[in-house]
Amino acid sequence: MLSQLGDEAKVLAGGQSLIPLMKLRFANPSHLVDLNFISGTSYIKEENNALRFGALTRHAEIEASPIAAKIPILHDCAAGIADVQVRNRGTIGGSLAEADPSGDWATVLITLPTEVRCLGRTGERSLPLSDFIKDAYTTTLAHDELVREVVLKVPPKGGGGAYLAFKRSAPVYPTASAAVQLTMEGDICKDAAIALGCVGLTAIRPKEAEAALRGQRITDKTKSAAMEAARIAADPQTDMRGSADYKRTLAAALVKRAIDIAIRRAAGQQVEVSHIYA
Amino acid sequence: MSPEADKKNWVGKSLPRKEENRLLRGRGKFSDDIKLREMLYLRFIRSPYAHAKIVSIDVSGAEALPGVVCALTGTEVAQQTQPFIEIGPDPFAKIKDYPLAVSKVRYQGEPLAAVVAESPALADDAAELVQVDYDPLDPVVDAENALTNKSILHEEAGTNLVWNGIFEYGDVEEAFRDAAYVVKVDHLHFHRFSSTPLENNVVIAQWNPKDERIYYQCNNSFPSFAIQFLAAHLGVHIDRIRVETSDIGGSFGIKITSYPQMAVCALASRKAGGRPVKWVETRSEHITSSAHGNERTFRDTRVALDKNGVITAITSRHIDDCGAYPRYEPLGCVIWSQVFPGVYRFKNARIDFSQAVTNKCPVGPNRGYSRMQHLWFLERVVDICAYELDIPADEMRLRNYIRPDEFPYTTPNGCVYDSGDYPKMMQLAKDLIGWDDWKTKQVIARKEGRLIGIGIGTTLDSGTNNFGQSQIVNPFLPYSGNSQGANCKLDIYGEVVVAVGSCPQGQGHETTAAQVVADVLNIHPDLITVRTGFDTERNVHTGFSGTYASQFAVSGLSAVHGAAQKLKAEMKRLAAFALETNEDDLEFGTGAQGPETRAKSTGKSINYWGLANLVNANSAALPPELYELTLNCRYIWRAPFKVPDTKKKYGSLTLTYAAQLHMAVVEVDCDTYIPRILDYVAVDDCGTVINPPIVEGQVYGATAHGIGAALMENCVYDAVGNMLTSTFSDYIPITAVNMPNVKYGHIETPSPHSYSGAKGMGEGGAAPIHTISAALQDALFASGIVIDDSFNNADSLFRALTAKEISQADKLVKVEKRV
Ligand SMILES: Cc1cc2nc3c(=O)[nH]c(=O)nc-3n(C[C@H](O)[C@H](O)[C@H](O)COP(=O)(O)OP(=O)(O)OC[C@H]3O[C@@H](n4cnc5c(N)ncnc54)[C@H](O)[C@@H]3O)c2cc1C
Repeated sequence: MLSQLGDEAKVLAGGQSLIPLMKLRFANPSHLVDLNFISGTSYIKEENNALRFGALTRHAEIEASPIAAKIPILHDCAAGIADVQVRNRGTIGGSLAEADPSGDWATVLITLPTEVRCLGRTGERSLPLSDFIKDAYTTTLAHDELVREVVLKVPPKGGGGAYLAFKRSAPVYPTASAAVQLTMEGDICKDAAIALGCVGLTAIRPKEAEAALRGQRITDKTKSAAMEAARIAADPQTDMRGSADYKRTLAAALVKRAIDIAIRRAAGQQVEVSHIYA
Repeated sequence: MSPEADKKNWVGKSLPRKEENRLLRGRGKFSDDIKLREMLYLRFIRSPYAHAKIVSIDVSGAEALPGVVCALTGTEVAQQTQPFIEIGPDPFAKIKDYPLAVSKVRYQGEPLAAVVAESPALADDAAELVQVDYDPLDPVVDAENALTNKSILHEEAGTNLVWNGIFEYGDVEEAFRDAAYVVKVDHLHFHRFSSTPLENNVVIAQWNPKDERIYYQCNNSFPSFAIQFLAAHLGVHIDRIRVETSDIGGSFGIKITSYPQMAVCALASRKAGGRPVKWVETRSEHITSSAHGNERTFRDTRVALDKNGVITAITSRHIDDCGAYPRYEPLGCVIWSQVFPGVYRFKNARIDFSQAVTNKCPVGPNRGYSRMQHLWFLERVVDICAYELDIPADEMRLRNYIRPDEFPYTTPNGCVYDSGDYPKMMQLAKDLIGWDDWKTKQVIARKEGRLIGIGIGTTLDSGTNNFGQSQIVNPFLPYSGNSQGANCKLDIYGEVVVAVGSCPQGQGHETTAAQVVADVLNIHPDLITVRTGFDTERNVHTGFSGTYASQFAVSGLSAVHGAAQKLKAEMKRLAAFALETNEDDLEFGTGAQGPETRAKSTGKSINYWGLANLVNANSAALPPELYELTLNCRYIWRAPFKVPDTKKKYGSLTLTYAAQLHMAVVEVDCDTYIPRILDYVAVDDCGTVINPPIVEGQVYGATAHGIGAALMENCVYDAVGNMLTSTFSDYIPITAVNMPNVKYGHIETPSPHSYSGAKGMGEGGAAPIHTISAALQDALFASGIVIDDSFNNADSLFRALTAKEISQADKLVKVEKRV
């Protein structure tokens, strides 16, 4: 159908990005193809050490899911997106397809081994999230291709993560955010994945910050090194959410806090977190 | 009329609000709920430029779109109407303010044309087809720059200076000569923000060709003012304009200045052959072009103090920015002087006050209007002086507050503060917040390198204006005093019905009016119907009717009380006749047949239906000497004001002075720079409280509004006048997740100026803005930072704390020590 309608047509999932753009008349699709009535597109399954999310799974469903709660960073993310109304409508597939530089899902999922399964006219393909999102608002999806499913590996034993954002109020995108996913062995950090959100065209992986932690006992010094590396890696723009300098500093501070929480979670502690609001 | 004392059964009680049943069940009636047959929808075409000549407008494409009924341009409007009345004197009285821009646009978002169509979506489509050619001009976005007159907004005026006046009292020179300390503050700045009513502006207008009458259903919050502007502008008799308001989802003063949009809707309706035309403002329209609060800069402040830190004199230069058109201004140029010395005792002062136009959205009277800017300035001055003289902030205030035994207190400019007890409020606030505890915690936290500040904000909410103060800005204005009307009647079947000239937006007028009447007649408030919402056809309004400026408890309820007393007096005469007794023998109450009047001597009674029946339907039984009774009693309450001395700028400008004292503990996070409120107390004194939960609700609302303004809400323009905060992604109104727990306390110092002892309240004096600035200041003094702006957020605190030269304080504040 999409191929017939041509590239002015758009699919509609939760509508929480597309409808606001249409309201402002920034988007003017010739046709809308509503995916909401296709059954079997909204689910959360655990199979072979992997979690599978149907593309139309709502943020609120992930927030409430006991399966997703096993990976605390997913719950941090789902529960912190906007407000209840947006979470009840918005979908994980739509969020990745939109590739908004301020979107939360991409920042979080990029710290986990995540595959995006796409369905096109010629069949299915699966690609890592880091290849799926090419640039701000740009993915590798063809205009007649759909996101079908998001698949991610359950982190190994000793895994713990946290996702923190600073938002000026609930229904506003973050000023900056940080996702940290660690694999701990005792007090040594075996592996670290860090992503910064809202401070670049896409989520940024500050590789140096990860390297500062990897293989190390985490001390104030290693944390400072990670913070500094994150500060440098961030590439934000000045806007009404904050100046570029401030956003760098903020992203680094969020990395530090997320590391602390990730370590405690890796040690099996239950830590409730919430985004920081102005 | 016998001014007999009412029993206080209902006034002062925590009666649940009458309007709750309707509003909480979603049965409120708001303007946008109104759908009329043949209704059309209007959309404005707005300028993308802050300052530009309009070279040409072509509406033909829009008019050709099927479903479009007509379009309207500024030129057309100018041919059909007079420019709006200007409140200020020459040369600004010469400017031509039309509701659609005529030859040039003066702010981004200014409407210059309108299209009218069969549906809102068609109107949106049509608006995109209107072609406008602009020739950009130099924009002026800063008031001080505007005063250089390099680029003039209104050629007819020839200047950007709207108004200037010097307010001088006492002997300033002597006070500075004798001062032990002189503190100088180079500049301070109060930022531009607005209000965020849940419901935006809505206008439905119908200009009926059959009887040449204009019928508005809308949510303007000061309709008496609007119709005076509209009648002169449209050239129609004022009685031909009917304005009806229903439930209003918030105004905060911002909806006072919707009369230009009201004018366009009426003209559009006329052009569309008399079909009703509806305009529903979008959120972005509201943020960019309804009205903003006044922005103000305070320059060259000098403060004289004695050796004990008592302020003896202040001189300063204030520059107010009113945006592109004055509209309600320059009233703000005098309204601040209602609270000239704030809560302080200093007697000598000179303030040089100017107002300028800039290429930004026009201002409107935003909650705390014009006084909060000045009160914020005084609170900053007090904290800065306290710090420089090494006096604790609480002690500094106690030394300078007007003392409880000085009330009624006459200020240097002749205002009379009715009552108050600021030290008692401070003590209550300290008890509620745990002052000593926090002081200890603060010391420990500082040692750990944490930035914690404790701030006090004392402020005033002056209510019931003397409109005579308008003559200080323009001696030719025909306004003075204040009045409010109300009507109280027994209807044909004996129902008690009250009508008021106010248009509440959540202030609970239905409830408090019923409480007042219930006490006069000694019946249950549920037996009283209060018709609120404004309607010119009810004939209860005066020239000042509306809901604004913290006054209903005084002006509105005094009018209601007067009308109820008048009705009661008529009922007495009737009942004395019917029960064959004298008036002194009568008592009012409720009997087996409902509300009634009883003869104490015989026990005979007549219920309200019986009384109403005698006048309305059984009048043959009535003796001619009672023919004058109508049981339909209109009363106009007038405030006992005189016209101020306009030369000396001296006189009583407001009737009541409610006070607020807030305290906050704020921490600035050392990593993220995010300011967090750790504790918050709001203490209020609005005299005798008529309904405690309503007052408490107003305090919470004003507190949220103020915290939002202090930390989140800022109207930002770039150097060429683009508004950068035109949606809720960038202009962030406060929500529940941002609110601290507010501890509420109150004291009551009854006002001698109102019949009930109540003072007007609701605006709240912007106490949180002063308080949060004070707390941040307390946290940052040690880092050499002076809080010089009323808006502070994580980003601005980051910039202040990481600035290269941190000794900004040295430049901003200078102290001369003479002892
Ligand atoms: C007030 C508000 C605040 C918000 N705040 C946040 C926030 O803080 N953080 C955050 O992450 N998000 C936020 N969002 C966005 C929200 O998460 C959206 O739900 C999400 O970005 C898009 O998902 P959707 O299902 O609503 O997609 P839609 O809006 O329906 O679609 C978005 C785009 O993706 C395409 N698309 C959708 N689904 C598919 C699919 N299966 N295959 C291919 N293409 C598809 C559509 O064609 C469209 O181009 C906010 C939204 C609002 C309205």
